[in-house]
Amino acid sequence: MAILPRHNPTFRPLHHARLSHHNSLPARIYCSTTTTPAKPSRDQIIKRPTIVPAALVQTAATVSTRPVLNDPSLQSTWSHRVWVASGCTTVLISLSKSLTTAVDSHIWIEPILAGFIGYVLADLGSGIYHWGIDNYGDSETPFFGKQIEAFQGHHKWPWTITRRQFANNLHALARAVTFTVLPLDLICNDNAVLHGFVGVCSGCIMFSQQFHAWAHCTKSKLPAAVVALQDAGILVSRSQHAAHHRSPYNNNYCIVSGVWNEILDNSKFFEAMEMILFFKLGVRPRSWTEPNSDWTEETESASLISEL
Amino acid sequence: MASFSLPTNNTLPFLLHSRTPKATLSQNPPLLPKSSRSQFHGLKLSNSSPVSIPSSSYVKGSIVAKITEGSLAPAFTLKDQDGKTVSLSKFKGKPVVVYFYPADETPGCTKQACAFRDSYEKFKKAGAEVIGISGDDPSSHKAFKQKYKLPFTLLSDEGNRVRKEWGVPADLFGALPGRQTYVLDKNGVVRLVYNNQFQPEKHIDETLKFLQSA
Repeated sequence: MAILPRHNPTFRPLHHARLSHHNSLPARIYCSTTTTPAKPSRDQIIKRPTIVPAALVQTAATVSTRPVLNDPSLQSTWSHRVWVASGCTTVLISLSKSLTTAVDSHIWIEPILAGFIGYVLADLGSGIYHWGIDNYGDSETPFFGKQIEAFQGHHKWPWTITRRQFANNLHALARAVTFTVLPLDLICNDNAVLHGFVGVCSGCIMFSQQFHAWAHCTKSKLPAAVVALQDAGILVSRSQHAAHHRSPYNNNYCIVSGVWNEILDNSKFFEAMEMILFFKLGVRPRSWTEPNSDWTEETESASLISEL
Repeated sequence: MASFSLPTNNTLPFLLHSRTPKATLSQNPPLLPKSSRSQFHGLKLSNSSPVSIPSSSYVKGSIVAKITEGSLAPAFTLKDQDGKTVSLSKFKGKPVVVYFYPADETPGCTKQACAFRDSYEKFKKAGAEVIGISGDDPSSHKAFKQKYKLPFTLLSDEGNRVRKEWGVPADLFGALPGRQTYVLDKNGVVRLVYNNQFQPEKHIDETLKFLQSA
């Protein structure tokens, strides 16, 4: 499966160079990552309103503050691949345990139902986590700082997610899944239902970044099967996720199937949570402020033209 | 003509089920009628004391410590956005829309304030004045008013004393100051109470509709 970057006449020569450079690489899915390898430049740029937009353009020539086509931060490293492999392994262990136990116990409905619930709740979890990371903290926040920085970068350059390599995109979630699911694989023993839930839920969470990346691709660049799944509502659709990247950036946070988006947005769930946090802790979410350079999308062509 | 609307289904229904329906009746003893017979409540309150509202400890759980339709709105004096003291009595002689909102510069409250601003001429045409009240200090109100060019007065209910006195119910298990609007007639009697936390623009629709039909 190949997901090609969007074509843009202004950067076509570079685009070809990029492709030829990566022909030998097994993964041709470029996706943005929830974490960006820390580069000193990014620490400078992903800040709250203290950043002057002009500074970003000036630093582009010297330090890559915006993603460039051959930016190593978009490529997978062996460390990324190891984490993705370990994450997949733990998920597969859970799923296979569920399957074998289900076969032994002659139960089918319950594990399948548990898996379905896992799929549904993974979407909810993705939305809540995404809302939290999008709105609170910054690059200095302990533990979450890198992810927050990456999410902010994604809002500024959403198109880069289609350029990130597979393991680069998924490794952060895969690492979290490894640490979470490995103990569960051991604790849940031979419980088909629990393993069904854990396996599907964690698998959807781990691959949510892939679903997210697909939601940023144009229809013509996606495999037909992916488009079909998006149109069926099984994976988050391109249009639904595009709404999240439009002002006021406070809706459509879920990125697995998007099934919870309408419920959460119509019920003002996140607005209520934001108000509660504001009154109880005095913290304002980022989405309350006027869109500034941190959020405002820098178009792909604008970015690339400035690099020429 | 007085009406009391509940938040619509678009608000958090699973949490609102825990809210007692009709905030004006949440502390009523069973003896009082359950419907919005606010005249009865108003009379009862005005008979028991002049304009002050008995506290809930006065008669434990049996007197509604709230302002309802038909009540004479209790007097208050608060500072406005310029730090000047403003009394409710200043507005006697014309209808007043007193709207309590959670806080300046929050999305819902901004939408509400801007909606009141955009319909302000209609309120003036109906002969009414608009007053917004929140717990923010005068400087916050001043900035809020200037930023959104609000043509009406914002009052600082620091400590939320007036909010408590009027019995504005909180939302989400008390985590959120409530959003409730009162329409007072020219004699200072409450004629409409409207509560809706998450659809702030509806406050303007409902109060304007009421004023224009009165």
